[in-house]
Amino acid sequence: MLVYTVRRILGAIPILVLASVLTFVLIDVSGDPLTELRMQQPPPDPSVIQLQEERLYLDRSMPERYWLWITGIGGHGDIGLLQGEFGPSTQSNSYDIGAAIAERLGTTLRLVAAAMVFALGLAVLAGVISAMRQYSKLDYTLTFIGFLALAMPVFWFAGIMQQAGVAFNDLVGDQVFATIGDGLYQAQGEDLWGRITNAFAYMTLPTIVLMLTSFASWSRYQRTSMLEVLNSDYVRLARAKGLPNRVVIRRHALRTALIPLTTVVAVGIAGIIDGAILTERVFQWRGLGEFFITAVEANDSYALMAWLLLSGVLVILANLIADLLYGVLDPRIRYE
Amino acid sequence: MTTTDHMSNEETASPGTGDVVLEVSDLSVTFPSDDGPLPAVREVSYVLRRGEALGIVGESGSGKSVTSMAVMGLLPKNARVEGSAKVLGQEIVGLKDEQISKVRGNRIAMIFQDPLTSLNPVYTVGYQIAEAVLAHRKVGKKAATARALELLELVDIPNPEQRLKQYPHELSGGMRQRVVIAIAMANEPDVIIADEPTTALDVTVQAQVLGALESARKETGAALVLITHDLGVVAGHVDRIGVMYGGRIVEMGPVEDVFYQPRMPYALGLLGSLPRLDEDRSERLTPILGTPPSLLSLPGGCAFAPRCPMARDLCHEQEPRLLATDGNGERVSVQVGDTDTHTSACHFSDELENAQPTDLFRGTAVEADTTEAAEEQAEQAEQALAEVDGTSGGAAGGSGREAVLTVRELVKHFPIRSKGLLKRRVGEVQAVSGISLDLYEHETLALVGESGCGKSTTARLMLQLIRQTSGEVHYRGQPLHSMSPRQLRPLRRDLQLVFQDPFASLDPRMTVADIVAEPLRIHGQGNGTARKRVRELLELVGLNSEHGARYPHEFSGGQRQRIGIARALALNPKVLILDEPVSALDVSIQAGVINLLEDLQDDLGLSYLFVSHDLSVVKHIADRVAVMYLGKIVETGTAEDLFRAPAHPYTQALISAIPLPDPVKERTRERIVVTGDVPSPANPPSGCRFRTRCPKFADELSENERVKCVEEPPELVDRGAGHPDACHYSRAVELF
Repeated sequence: MLVYTVRRILGAIPILVLASVLTFVLIDVSGDPLTELRMQQPPPDPSVIQLQEERLYLDRSMPERYWLWITGIGGHGDIGLLQGEFGPSTQSNSYDIGAAIAERLGTTLRLVAAAMVFALGLAVLAGVISAMRQYSKLDYTLTFIGFLALAMPVFWFAGIMQQAGVAFNDLVGDQVFATIGDGLYQAQGEDLWGRITNAFAYMTLPTIVLMLTSFASWSRYQRTSMLEVLNSDYVRLARAKGLPNRVVIRRHALRTALIPLTTVVAVGIAGIIDGAILTERVFQWRGLGEFFITAVEANDSYALMAWLLLSGVLVILANLIADLLYGVLDPRIRYE
Repeated sequence: MTTTDHMSNEETASPGTGDVVLEVSDLSVTFPSDDGPLPAVREVSYVLRRGEALGIVGESGSGKSVTSMAVMGLLPKNARVEGSAKVLGQEIVGLKDEQISKVRGNRIAMIFQDPLTSLNPVYTVGYQIAEAVLAHRKVGKKAATARALELLELVDIPNPEQRLKQYPHELSGGMRQRVVIAIAMANEPDVIIADEPTTALDVTVQAQVLGALESARKETGAALVLITHDLGVVAGHVDRIGVMYGGRIVEMGPVEDVFYQPRMPYALGLLGSLPRLDEDRSERLTPILGTPPSLLSLPGGCAFAPRCPMARDLCHEQEPRLLATDGNGERVSVQVGDTDTHTSACHFSDELENAQPTDLFRGTAVEADTTEAAEEQAEQAEQALAEVDGTSGGAAGGSGREAVLTVRELVKHFPIRSKGLLKRRVGEVQAVSGISLDLYEHETLALVGESGCGKSTTARLMLQLIRQTSGEVHYRGQPLHSMSPRQLRPLRRDLQLVFQDPFASLDPRMTVADIVAEPLRIHGQGNGTARKRVRELLELVGLNSEHGARYPHEFSGGQRQRIGIARALALNPKVLILDEPVSALDVSIQAGVINLLEDLQDDLGLSYLFVSHDLSVVKHIADRVAVMYLGKIVETGTAEDLFRAPAHPYTQALISAIPLPDPVKERTRERIVVTGDVPSPANPPSGCRFRTRCPKFADELSENERVKCVEEPPELVDRGAGHPDACHYSRAVELF
């Protein structure tokens, strides 16, 4: 298992390097950060442009810039991932990309993690129930809900949920759900109970929105995988041993049916991060989604690279965890 | 955990059942289907006495497995079960799952067919056995593990302590089936149901596993229901036998009675369609025409009547009951508890006294599409064959004839690559390690061996479907091994292949005519000529030429295999490579295909390379045989020689591991047993590759003699047996 773990971790490194190269090249070729400045009428003084080019390192060649971006060697001290610097921003001279990310990462991770946990839990539950009651009314209902969720666009559903939240608040005459903001400011100085109610109020609606698509696809997946296992010979043998039904389901069917899901969930995290941009936008959270949108609007290439690379790292990390989990869950993998 | 304390729980055994451990009466199982109710089992009754072994024989779809699943209460919820099944007097049918689970694995246990899928891959072997113990005994985990160890020893698993901690994928198929047997034995059940327990295993391993089952049963005194399609397996292992057909038991009685004096035409037909190791090749097999009935539309009277040569009006009108066979004239029904009487379900079973299969069935090659056409087609085929019979001689031996395909020092290694990005070469599977063969004109050369011995790889190499690592393949003097794919193409006309699985080898989206015509199109024949040729071909293989427009799913397994043969024959090949062509077929169907192959060979002058693991079939069809073990040929010779006096210990073991469908012979014959499993071809033993399992090496040879086996790979030469073998110390032994 140790060899397996070390090998998986080592295997992640080249992928990380590749991700950084791709991130850099894609953003670099996608446009000139100074377009707006150059297009100004009347044209600004060439020295102003030159100054900006120097500040953003646009006067250097692409490989040089990549090297600079990674190591920071030969820069002005505001660049170099290995030194913890993400590079200069177009938004303002004082805008610190690293600090901005650090401030928002927690907010987004809170949402992403909550959505993942609930999507996974509910998907497994729905999948197992559907499989055990195959072709029953319950199965058909869950299937219908699943496809409905898959078909709904996130931004549209987010709008609906906001309206529904407001309507609910009006109905009960109390502020149960907050439909705007991430609630972090309001939670300051509260005691534990206050924090919990705050989290419930602010997080419920965005979490539902963000988890919906993942829940739908994962529950379908879990249903298929569970059905396959339920019809397997070893589940039949477990029954033939005389184990009670619930033990057969939990120990033999569910345990093995979860294995393929780990991969799907790991791959699915990219989709959740994606969805988080839209969800945060609609619910006006100050998270990485908002950071990303601002960066796009400002043509802020280093900020975009930082966001892309961070997402890449999260996806690689998720896959690494899934790989290791796979090793724990499935002895056949462990012994390869 | 005695029987009595269990029975006191629910219902006590009804008086008079005595030592009956399982009593099934009028058990019927119906599945709902889109086309209406499907009666899989119909009014099956039998009793099983303490310690007794009962065999249930039948072909696929006969209901033999469903019956036992019903007894175990393991059928899916939508199955409708009627009648009764009592284990130690306790009714199982209609019982709630929680209550059945107290009986299951405790008083009645089951062994399934496929050991590779029967164990949960994520738990250790020890855990899965201990689990069975803990399900019914109030003992601690430690005691359960100790019991698991005891059970592994009981089923002869070497290094049991180590095995306990291993996962199923670390064990071979034979080992895993022993683990399943250990699980079944965990609570010393009164009844064990074994559903095709050795069908997925190689013959030498089958012998080991059956032995383990036998000894475990002796230890626990459990009664056995052995379900199988293999008449050889039941012959030696059961006291009584029930034959199932169309969801019913059609004949039942002591095993000798049923084997030697079958009183139901179906049982007689089954015996006649079986190729046998202990009989002469010259006898033609007598297949049962037609196909087993669809359970959705069972015929009104006897289910076998449409295929039965002695069927009369009464048979089509009234379903015969299972009655005693020995009452002169008047036949009586038998008391449920009476286990010694031979019973059969045939209106005219009296006429079958001392009947031979050949009295009833004919050795025709044609299988009927529809029953009405059966007679007519059989005659047509016979006439067609009679015309060419004059030119054919079925004699064996290759000498004096021209070799069509020659193989010299053929080697094929498959690389084993490491996982990850680099895919380094970390070893190689030595699938074929230097074999030489000659296939002569108009002969059948059989390549036999157990799974993984390299026989299929050899066949593919001979067709150049894969390329060799080294060595040569010549077809009529042309070096196939060095030709480009383009150069090979025209020669491919002459070399064709028939696959094992008739279900997977036909494209379900193409009509039969298109399938058969495909090779013609590829080799540039126009539509008109192709269509005519397709009709000819379908008739040639005994199918109705009108059925070309149908799709493969409308045909039975045997018919599909005929379609595969027709496709292979489309280009008038000279050589057919037959890769396990009948092993996926039921016995009664298999015989028809074997006969067809024999007729086609005589008719068209074909050469066959017949790849098979089934020595009985090989003995029946082959002129010469090459026995393979771990990528090498260990013995080769004419079929007659090799089966009469095999010289290599592996060949001897292989032949002696094949169960004979003859109860007396099977129980009394001398056995040469091999132990263990085939070593990995990635790391074959030094010297003689068979030495790790060789009974001669283990028991007969002295230390000094063994050195030679370890160090020196034996050459394939004649050592006095009259044919070449690759054993330093070979000695021909007559096994029959």
